Amino acid sequence: MPLLTTIIVLPLAAALLVALVPRDLRFGIRLVALAATLADLILATVLFLQFDPGTAGYQCVHRVPWVSALGIEYHVGVDGVNVGLVLLAAVVAFAAACASWEIRSREKEFYLLLLIMAGGVLGAFASLDLVFFYGFHELALVPTFIMIGVWGRGEEREYATFKITLYLTLGALLALVGLLALYLQLPAGDRTFDVERLTAYFQAHPMSEAAQQWIFPVLMFGFGILVSLWPFHTWAPPAYSAAPTPTAMLHAGVLKKFGLYGLIRIAVPLMPEGAQRWLPVLAALCLGNLLHVGWVAMRQENLNRLFANSSVAHMGFAFLGIASLTQIGLAGAVVVMVAHGFLAALMFGLGGHLWQQTRTLEMNDLGGLLRQAPFLGTATIMAMLAGCGLPGFANFAGEVLVLFGASKTVTLASPHTWVALAAWAGLVIGAVYMLRAVRRIFHGPLAGHSAGVPDMSGWRRVPFVLLLGALMVFGCFPRGLTDNLQLPAALIVAPAAPRAPALAATPAAPGSPPAAMPRSSAMP
Amino acid sequence: MHSLPWIILFAPLLAAAGITLFTLRNPARSALLSVSAVAVAFVLSVVAFLVFPAPSAPVELSGVWLAVGSLQVEFGVRLDPLSLVMLLIVTGVGGVIHVYSCGYMRGDRGTGRYFACLSFFTFSMLLVVLATNFLQLFIGWELVGLSSYLLIGFWYERESAAEACKKAFLTNRLGDVGFLLGIILVWATLGSLHFGELAAVLETTPGALGAVASLAGLLVFCGAMGKSAQFPLHVWLPDAMEGPTPVSALIHAATMVAAGVYLLCRVFFLLEATPAWPDAAPAWLDGITALGVVGWIGGVTALLAALIAVQQDDIKRILAYSTLSQLGYMMMAVGLSAPVPAMFHLATHAFFKALLFLGAGAVIVSLHHEQNIWRMGGLHARMPATAWTFLIATLALCGVPPFSGFFSKDAILAAALDPARGSGGLFLVGVAVAFLTAFYMTRLVLVTFQGTPRSAPASEAVETSPVMKWPLVVLAVPAALAGFWSIDRFLDRHFHPAAAAPASGWFEQWVAPLVHAPLAVLLSLVAVGLGFYTAYLLYRGAATDPLPAKLGLLARGMRAKFYLDELNAWCIRLTHDALARLADWIDRWIIAGVMVRGTHGTTELVGRALRLVQSGNLQTYVLVVVLGIAAVLWLALGPRP
Repeated sequence: MPLLTTIIVLPLAAALLVALVPRDLRFGIRLVALAATLADLILATVLFLQFDPGTAGYQCVHRVPWVSALGIEYHVGVDGVNVGLVLLAAVVAFAAACASWEIRSREKEFYLLLLIMAGGVLGAFASLDLVFFYGFHELALVPTFIMIGVWGRGEEREYATFKITLYLTLGALLALVGLLALYLQLPAGDRTFDVERLTAYFQAHPMSEAAQQWIFPVLMFGFGILVSLWPFHTWAPPAYSAAPTPTAMLHAGVLKKFGLYGLIRIAVPLMPEGAQRWLPVLAALCLGNLLHVGWVAMRQENLNRLFANSSVAHMGFAFLGIASLTQIGLAGAVVVMVAHGFLAALMFGLGGHLWQQTRTLEMNDLGGLLRQAPFLGTATIMAMLAGCGLPGFANFAGEVLVLFGASKTVTLASPHTWVALAAWAGLVIGAVYMLRAVRRIFHGPLAGHSAGVPDMSGWRRVPFVLLLGALMVFGCFPRGLTDNLQLPAALIVAPAAPRAPALAATPAAPGSPPAAMPRSSAMP
Repeated sequence: MHSLPWIILFAPLLAAAGITLFTLRNPARSALLSVSAVAVAFVLSVVAFLVFPAPSAPVELSGVWLAVGSLQVEFGVRLDPLSLVMLLIVTGVGGVIHVYSCGYMRGDRGTGRYFACLSFFTFSMLLVVLATNFLQLFIGWELVGLSSYLLIGFWYERESAAEACKKAFLTNRLGDVGFLLGIILVWATLGSLHFGELAAVLETTPGALGAVASLAGLLVFCGAMGKSAQFPLHVWLPDAMEGPTPVSALIHAATMVAAGVYLLCRVFFLLEATPAWPDAAPAWLDGITALGVVGWIGGVTALLAALIAVQQDDIKRILAYSTLSQLGYMMMAVGLSAPVPAMFHLATHAFFKALLFLGAGAVIVSLHHEQNIWRMGGLHARMPATAWTFLIATLALCGVPPFSGFFSKDAILAAALDPARGSGGLFLVGVAVAFLTAFYMTRLVLVTFQGTPRSAPASEAVETSPVMKWPLVVLAVPAALAGFWSIDRFLDRHFHPAAAAPASGWFEQWVAPLVHAPLAVLLSLVAVGLGFYTAYLLYRGAATDPLPAKLGLLARGMRAKFYLDELNAWCIRLTHDALARLADWIDRWIIAGVMVRGTHGTTELVGRALRLVQSGNLQTYVLVVVLGIAAVLWLALGPRP
């Protein structure tokens, strides 16, 4: 079986296997989930390493015709944009499976849903056919609702489940309407759900201006709601603080990025005029994420709510990168997506672990944890520092790219204002809420529920070391992501931004620059 | 030879990583790793200095760190006179302080963590020093900020330390926003981040930055204001004294806080660019240049901090305010278009201020962590080595010839008198600060080391262990003699490569200040003498501070640091906290409350229906989704015309 298809099918097959294992064999169920996600992680790493950034178009393509009459076929493949996302999904899926030790009831169902979710999210990012693209997303989304409803925690669980279901179903439906409308723009004989063919078609025969003007916003808001675009973000904090840890990790880390991916893959390249008209609106709304939600995060008293709000706030950078319509900004948006994926999984994983120990995440009840639990404390502080854009973590590379890209944008009337506000949000507001939390939870004398918290030991550290390692590897060597993005990012913004200055210097020879390039004379 | 600067840069990082991963629980091995890394870096820096070619063409090695479209960021090392001087200071002074730390931190349970952070700091600082471009420098800049945060908060269980490290990081971040925006502005205008390329462009066309020249210069200066603690962002530095004393010596006196001055000298070409403002800018901005602002912010900081230092009682805080004041001097020099004196003072200040802090650390350890100078006294007899080296450093700081500080401070004052670029106002500020410096340092020395012991620990104090004593002696040599080492001539090669430095002997150098600017020498020496004399009259044998009674309200203001901390807190409460409160309220009551719940109320039925679907049953969910998709598909595709 081709590599990419194996990666998608493996968790789904494991889900089937889990269904067959008797429920008493808890260890067996867990082993199947761990083995499947670990194998996926290894395969996705292989895929990522063998990806050739110098080749245009999709790699590792696999097609299986399905409903030819409607132009539906199973078609997967990766380019520079989604190869990183597939790796992200595989890493987070394994980390989430590791973190599932906290589930102590109805394990069989939980692991079944978790594996379906993992397979769905991987499939959604790899699919190049709109039906599968959307179908896989739904496959991953539905288990999210169930898991929050059944295994969630806290008194707000019911309300949170209800809210996230309403919001995300609405977003997904809007996106569906938009995608179908796209499909219908083709003449009856040529209709296809294939992304590659759709892109080629609309590049040759641009869509009518009127159609772009209504389809683009439908997709933008539909996908936007899925990513918690301000002011449609209020589902996120209650949902993530009520969700069981692995679900929050997979949803906030990976599944949520589906909306951004949809914007990048479908909305922007297919509807350049719609993008030019509507992306300034997106840019305005993203300030709501960056500033408004940032300020809200400053007021949070609960660690998980803080993480949830910061996660919503960080999405502002991804939106801004897309809205800048520049090669640099778009590449930055993808780096932010990947970096934030690792980070969100890390944050919710650590928050969940702490909750298991203390049964509270209220900052007033905690204090001095760093002395009590050095590994847990250090890992959480590192995650928080990554969250306020410290160099060395991948988030910094992404945010800086977005800011550089936004400064050269043509979609905004006054790009410098946006850059300044976004930098303020990222550097100052982010640092304020993160460091306040560090101060209250980890520094200071030992207090309240912190006493007696055991430090994380042995294999429980594995997922967190893995996620932190991923953040630091891409933080120190961002070219691992950006070299892949050179070519596709330029292609995606090209139709929509013919005047963008960034295009003047599309990659001269992507992939060719060697690791070290002596600039001038060497030491004597 | 190619690998030389890379080893210098990465040896401390390897040590930090090694300690963190392997020897965290073993203080001795951690110290050994950390000290040997910085020793290697120092030795190799000396080698690099010796083999550095005579014509000062910069040597550069780099690889591509990040490249997307027109944005190209390198990771490299750049050796030129400027970075070599800093390299020697960071690894040299740093090395001595590393050794001293072995004694100071003995017995602390976090010694491993301490040395890991210290090595990480050395790496980050070297990253700043060796950077070839703006973004790499910014990365190092943030990382020194991080190591400073970790080390100020080293004893994080203490509430005061936990607050201080947070304050330091956040205040720095305020400046860094400006710095990053400045970097982006320069890149957006000139299309490059590389120092060499930018300098070349601005040399051939000084107006290349166009209307954003002044703005770019000021934004970059914001970064320097944060890191070098210039008014009004100076508030974090005195609180940073919560960290271990060697950290205060290394980071908050000798190296990191001076990074702002180094930054401005590194990008001096940017500050020198033809000043201009955008057309839309208000008219009153026209007379304001980036250099002018730098000079006056420096002057204000120097004066303000010196005034506050006069009425502090904590030995480390006095030195901290003194550091602020000297950093103000350096900024003033940069503002006077005199980067060579600024860097020269940075170098001598690194020696004598590190020595002062280490001396203070020795006193603090001997007195079992007593820091109030009014509970000391008579230590000269009990700790002679500490006292003598402290005295040498004090004389150097006050600018008494022939100690190192005299030459560097005098060069700054001479620059202020320069008819072309000078400023009479800043010269007066400089002289006033010289007076105040002599005054508060004399007060400190007299109260601490002279008179009679005023507490039990002070009367039982003994000289510290050799591992802490010898670093003092080693540092006393450059503190006394660095004025004769031609540091300024070496730096001249960087800023004026064309002008050949005339060879001259010791004696010519000695009298050079007198020949160049006799007025500056004369007035500053008078000011220093006056400072010594007044302080001597007031504090000889004093048991309490006589100044509050004499100065009244002014002394109270000085003691309370002119209420700037309170003012800042009030500003933050009024702006950011209020905005956060408002945003939270909107989020809770408008967006989630009225809009969402309101909509929910009007669609009560839909809500109820969805609640029914909310069964937790997988089949139902899948069925609903499939039915939904089928229905939409049918609607869209079914009735074909």
